[in-house]
Amino acid sequence: MKLDPRTKLYMILIVSAVVMMSATTPFLWAVRIIMTLIPVILLIIEKKYTSAFGFTFLYIAALVLTFVFLSEESTGIFKSLLTGYSGIVVQFMPCLITAWYVVRTTKIDEFMSAMQRMHLPDGITISLAVVMRFFPTIKEEYSSISDAMKMRGISFGGGNAAKMVEYRMIPLLFSCVNIGDELSAAAITRGLGGTVKRTSVEELKLRVGDWLLITAFTAVAVIFVLFKYVL
Amino acid sequence: MSEEKSSNKLKAKDFITIGIFTAIIFVIEFACGMLGYIHPFIVASYVVMVPIVGAIPMMLFYTKAQKFGMITIMSVLIAIIMFVAGMGFLGAPLIIGAGVVADLIAKSGKYKSFKKTMLSNGVFNLWICANYFPVIVTADSYRQDLIDGGYSAEYCNNLFLAINYKTIGVLLILCFVFGCIGALIGKAVVKKHFEKAGIV
Repeated sequence: MKLDPRTKLYMILIVSAVVMMSATTPFLWAVRIIMTLIPVILLIIEKKYTSAFGFTFLYIAALVLTFVFLSEESTGIFKSLLTGYSGIVVQFMPCLITAWYVVRTTKIDEFMSAMQRMHLPDGITISLAVVMRFFPTIKEEYSSISDAMKMRGISFGGGNAAKMVEYRMIPLLFSCVNIGDELSAAAITRGLGGTVKRTSVEELKLRVGDWLLITAFTAVAVIFVLFKYVL
Repeated sequence: MSEEKSSNKLKAKDFITIGIFTAIIFVIEFACGMLGYIHPFIVASYVVMVPIVGAIPMMLFYTKAQKFGMITIMSVLIAIIMFVAGMGFLGAPLIIGAGVVADLIAKSGKYKSFKKTMLSNGVFNLWICANYFPVIVTADSYRQDLIDGGYSAEYCNNLFLAINYKTIGVLLILCFVFGCIGALIGKAVVKKHFEKAGIV
């Protein structure tokens, strides 16, 4: 299913807003979990099974831990560790899943033309597109650096924390700067930063699926706010 | 973006540089954030870790940011990403404000003076405190929300012991101070590795 980038941005907006208001009753939790399921289903439709099930598994594990295992009276270091980690997962997983879905399924040119259609300044559009594209690159570069360090047997920097940071950070920055140069060369070839208004082969159009999702997410937000603050 | 001479206008290359460094800074912030969930006191120690580790890419960024607007755009991007990551928009004014002021300070030194860069980095690092905003502004209801949301009371008590409206001033000052110290370290690292390699 092909969605309009603007729908995806709207999804992110709503999910972030809902996650910010903490759920306090079982009903609100249910609303929030249903909301989280939507991007998961979308991921499955896109045939990204591993990430979809990975995320679902983590989310369910954290939910179970939070509600069954931990309570207000839990104390001790182990429990507080668990509280922390299941807390972060329960809190941020919905956002992460949605963001992951959007980043994975949006092509950069689609994203750019959507942002242009919404009349956002070029600076924000280009930089955001680079950020989006860059997270996977950082991960890739980082894992190659780790491999190289393992081969040379210096992955722990001799137990020195400053060295550990230095050994990882410097090569990463080097490769990022180089990739940046290549990226700007590629971007200029494609006419980015010219004075003429850019056009795009991607035609943006809101289809039935888009409207359905927009309605669904609006409904989620309205229900959440209503039941939390009004009733 | 800027109404200055055309040579001072930001170009596509600058926007790409901004994007890359924002991504790196955010990855660092995220890595430190994961540590924070081990114990609430570590959440408070963001103000030490993020400025110092983040200073290395920041100082490299400062060598590339020679035009007005780059640091401002970076702060806007950070605000957007923080919102997407579920941190809310309460901190956005602080983040963007810090970005603009940091940009102005660096501009007054024509992006060359190291003293100004150091100050500017200190001010820019105030954005880290935006992470704490939900905790402070809505302290009472937030605490109840956390407990209802399944956090243990002990975790919450520690969290609010470390972060409340009294300590936020201290945290802001720490951010600034460690931002400046980080700038010194970052400059040394940049000099050691990047100037020798001829990248800067």
